[in-house]
Amino acid sequence: MTTNTRTITYDDASVRRFMIASIAWGLIGMLVGLICATQLSWWQMNGKFLETLTFGLFKGDGVAYLTFGRLRPLHTNAVIFAFVGNMMFAGIYYSTQRLCKCRTASDILSIIHFWGWQLIILSAAITLPAGFTRGKEYAELIWPINVAVAVIWLVFAVNFFWTLAKRNEPSLYVALWFYIATILTVTMLYVVNHLSLPTSLLHSYPIFGGLQDALVQWWYGHNAVAFFLTTPILGIMYYFLPKAANRPVYSYRLSIIHFWSLVFIYIWAGPHHLLNTALPHWMQMLGMLFSLMLWAPSWGGMLNGLFTLRGAWDKLRTDPVLKFFAAGVTFYGMATFEGPLLAIRPVNALSHYTDWTIGHVHSGALGWNGFMAAGMFYWLAPRLWKTKLWSKTMADFHFWIGLVGILIYVGSMWAAGITQGLMLGTLNPDGISMKYEFVETLKKIQPEYIFRSIGGGFFLFGFILCAINIVMTARSGKPVDDTVEVNVPEKTYDRLALSKGLTNDPVLHILIFILLICLWFFLPPHADKAALGLAVIIAIKAIVDFKKDPKKWDDWHERLLHNYLPFTVLVGIAAAIGGSAQIIPSLIVNTDKNVEGRLQELYTPLELAGRDIYVSEGCYNCHSQMIRTLKPDVMRYGRAGHSDDYSHLGESIYDHPFQWGSKRTGPDLAREGGDLVKGSDLMRSGKRDNKWHWFHFRNPRWANEDSNMPSYAHLYEAKTDFKALPSKIKALRNLGVPYPYPAMTKDDIDEKAREQAMEIAKSLFEGGTPVSYDGMPKATSAELVNTFSERQIIALIAYIQKIGAYHEVNHDGPVEPKTLDPDSYRRASTPTDADSKKTTQIGN
Amino acid sequence: MSDTSPEDKQVRRGNYAQSKNEIVLREHEYDGIQEFDQKLPNWWLFTLYIAIGWTVVHWCIYYYTNSIQTDQQRVQAEIVSVEQQKAKALEETLRTLNDETMLTKWVPDPAVIAAGETTFTANCVACHGADLSATMTVDGKSYPLPGLSLVDGQWKYGSKPMDLFKLINEGTPADSEGHNGARMQAWGQVFSPKTVAEVTAYVISRNPKDFGLSE
Repeated sequence: MTTNTRTITYDDASVRRFMIASIAWGLIGMLVGLICATQLSWWQMNGKFLETLTFGLFKGDGVAYLTFGRLRPLHTNAVIFAFVGNMMFAGIYYSTQRLCKCRTASDILSIIHFWGWQLIILSAAITLPAGFTRGKEYAELIWPINVAVAVIWLVFAVNFFWTLAKRNEPSLYVALWFYIATILTVTMLYVVNHLSLPTSLLHSYPIFGGLQDALVQWWYGHNAVAFFLTTPILGIMYYFLPKAANRPVYSYRLSIIHFWSLVFIYIWAGPHHLLNTALPHWMQMLGMLFSLMLWAPSWGGMLNGLFTLRGAWDKLRTDPVLKFFAAGVTFYGMATFEGPLLAIRPVNALSHYTDWTIGHVHSGALGWNGFMAAGMFYWLAPRLWKTKLWSKTMADFHFWIGLVGILIYVGSMWAAGITQGLMLGTLNPDGISMKYEFVETLKKIQPEYIFRSIGGGFFLFGFILCAINIVMTARSGKPVDDTVEVNVPEKTYDRLALSKGLTNDPVLHILIFILLICLWFFLPPHADKAALGLAVIIAIKAIVDFKKDPKKWDDWHERLLHNYLPFTVLVGIAAAIGGSAQIIPSLIVNTDKNVEGRLQELYTPLELAGRDIYVSEGCYNCHSQMIRTLKPDVMRYGRAGHSDDYSHLGESIYDHPFQWGSKRTGPDLAREGGDLVKGSDLMRSGKRDNKWHWFHFRNPRWANEDSNMPSYAHLYEAKTDFKALPSKIKALRNLGVPYPYPAMTKDDIDEKAREQAMEIAKSLFEGGTPVSYDGMPKATSAELVNTFSERQIIALIAYIQKIGAYHEVNHDGPVEPKTLDPDSYRRASTPTDADSKKTTQIGN
Repeated sequence: MSDTSPEDKQVRRGNYAQSKNEIVLREHEYDGIQEFDQKLPNWWLFTLYIAIGWTVVHWCIYYYTNSIQTDQQRVQAEIVSVEQQKAKALEETLRTLNDETMLTKWVPDPAVIAAGETTFTANCVACHGADLSATMTVDGKSYPLPGLSLVDGQWKYGSKPMDLFKLINEGTPADSEGHNGARMQAWGQVFSPKTVAEVTAYVISRNPKDFGLSE
């Protein structure tokens, strides 16, 4: 190989920019998180505290912009996309240049990437507290920002792959594999989960509804954790950890195995966020089983990290960087052990909807992401500014206070989650009633909530020290870009034709095996067993072939690493299979036409307006709308006399977005609505009547002094957007919700909405004991009716009274097996099994 | 740090590591980073294999044998059993509970009244008021609450002790307009018959005259 050398200067300015942005946004994101944590302990933190701070100048029970439902999305988006996002970009820009031995392809693209990303974050920080949201977790940003994210991500992708194409290092190092997986998969996840139909510049409906939206959301949500918070950080670990330890990576072949298995298996595990819900059983089963299979691949990453430190453990005593890395990787191992555990359906029955989940994500977010970030910052800063770390003592202190903070945080959330989960499932000795009211369980875990805030406060304090340390380090040196001489090898790599990269023994064996496994899931009885048999045969054949000549497969992978394009395509295929195998069958099978039993009633225009307010206020951050197929859930939230009163998938099938929720800080609301009030064809009354809601939204402490729900006083002033309703209904119609639009004209919609609003307002302000409003003490009841019929509180009450309304549809005849629906094969094979068909009435 | 002999470098890594049972340091370096090529830990491989095996076994058991109930079947059976127990408990309570025993046995029992008051305070005061007047007082001003007053001497749905019990147990009757449209939920869904009886006793104890008791 003849080589010539070239002198290149790395673009380290971009790395410095991203790093500083990450620290700045990290501080903000964590501070918002801390505020959110205190809001669960003291409802006054939703804005009332300003009264004390301003010595009474500010008056009111809360500030809309500061309510928990709006701030929590700001916290999650800020720490995920702003803190970890910028950190990841810093790490990727730094290491990719060095692993490719060339400067990033385009300085202009780097600049656009940086400033575009910061603008996106800024716009998120404004729109989220203002209540502009899509109502899906970690996918809250409104559609114009979604478009901007996609464009900027594409800029990043082009810049990255262009750099790969220009590289002066023939072979791709394992860190780059993980970066490739990150870029490809995040693109796929983000685009699909953000497909929406705009109704205005600031509002849109997701194109999927009900369980399909739930499925797509958690395919995205789970894999955002995988491919935004895990794979890029694993890549960063593979570069920075051996550098800092000055030790070779533990095992190259472990890298290969755990990389490919991680990328392939992770994607399937999304439904474990929806266990015991109305999601069809086969998907729940895949979610659980793939989560268990994911344990080993995840631990592969941890082993490669920790075992690389073998022979360097003594350095941990002196080097804060290695302390952070070692602890970070350990937390990764802990979180990825806990993950599969929580994905086991009976365990999940206890943990889901409680703070155990919150503890779980924070052992990953604080321990893995936060500590890996800190380690990387402390390693980078002296190199980027050509100086020494300003204070090693301070970095050490950051480590210890951060570690204590995480342990307090995670420990208290375990305690809170398990306590609440057990209490919610506890029956009285009589065996027929629940022992605890929901609020009692909330009150019980208040000490844990306070400890959580303390733990989070410790962590934030440590991070402030980190920020100071990095700033002082930067000030003590000056920004210098590394200049190195590199060998420019002869271009013998990137020559493999794509078709050759894909058609060879290892790839074909594996793809055929996976195809057969998918057929096993979906083929009708007996054909599926044949597919399984064939899959086993193929697997044996592959093993035999491999054993016969391991070098052949070895060489192939080696060659793949010299050809980034076929490698990238294969990563894309591996990552695309799991989602396709779940989402496409569900889109085909789980439609309203196939629903047996309960089918959702459509929202009236006013109820729809109210639902959009519910979404906009972020109610889903505390309230679920999903009664799981679990005894305590059905007993607590189901109606008396209905033995099958768990949530059925048809009940929310027209919900864009779905609102099943992921945690219960308040009770489930799936049965909050009810039947039409006698003599009305619009107004409904559910578990509680209109007046109850009127008092409760104003001051939740009225109903129960231990409630930590914010006051929603601002909804009594804000006006309902009647004008937007026709375009919203039209959009939903286009998405398949069977509104009789355009037969229903704009005027009809407006008239109907106002009629229902008047009716609800009258039920509040007329009659023997009308409610009053302290904002209008002298108003007559007619004035109050007129004023409030246009206000958001009425629309929201209309929606609350509708939640869960359905009618029965029953197709006669035996259960027919449906293609692509494994559950229907099972049902069809046992005709007596009428699990979801019959409504048993008991006790009436 | 590279301490591999030149001989190692010529041997292919996979075969070499297996046959010699030694650790190989791969010769290629990426920006100064080297890689060992350790064999995969056996326990790690086994966790992967066991999980894969379990996937096949679990799927087959569920979809081929029908030996595991569906979630819906399971929970429905559990709830049916609860409903039956509830019906039985109600029946048993009603066997000894009637207008007379309520007044002679339940109301005079301080333990019953205390339990009833606890339940009432936790669940009923929002609508009926702490003083049962269905009003709340804020800054000296009185505001009506959604519920009916329970101290005004009027018993809209019947003035016998068991009328009250039935009302609390089953909620506002389906054919009633409710109180200015407001309807009470069926507390029997949440509470056992005994608890409902205790709350009933508590309400009666606050209105002794209406039920012919001395104060």
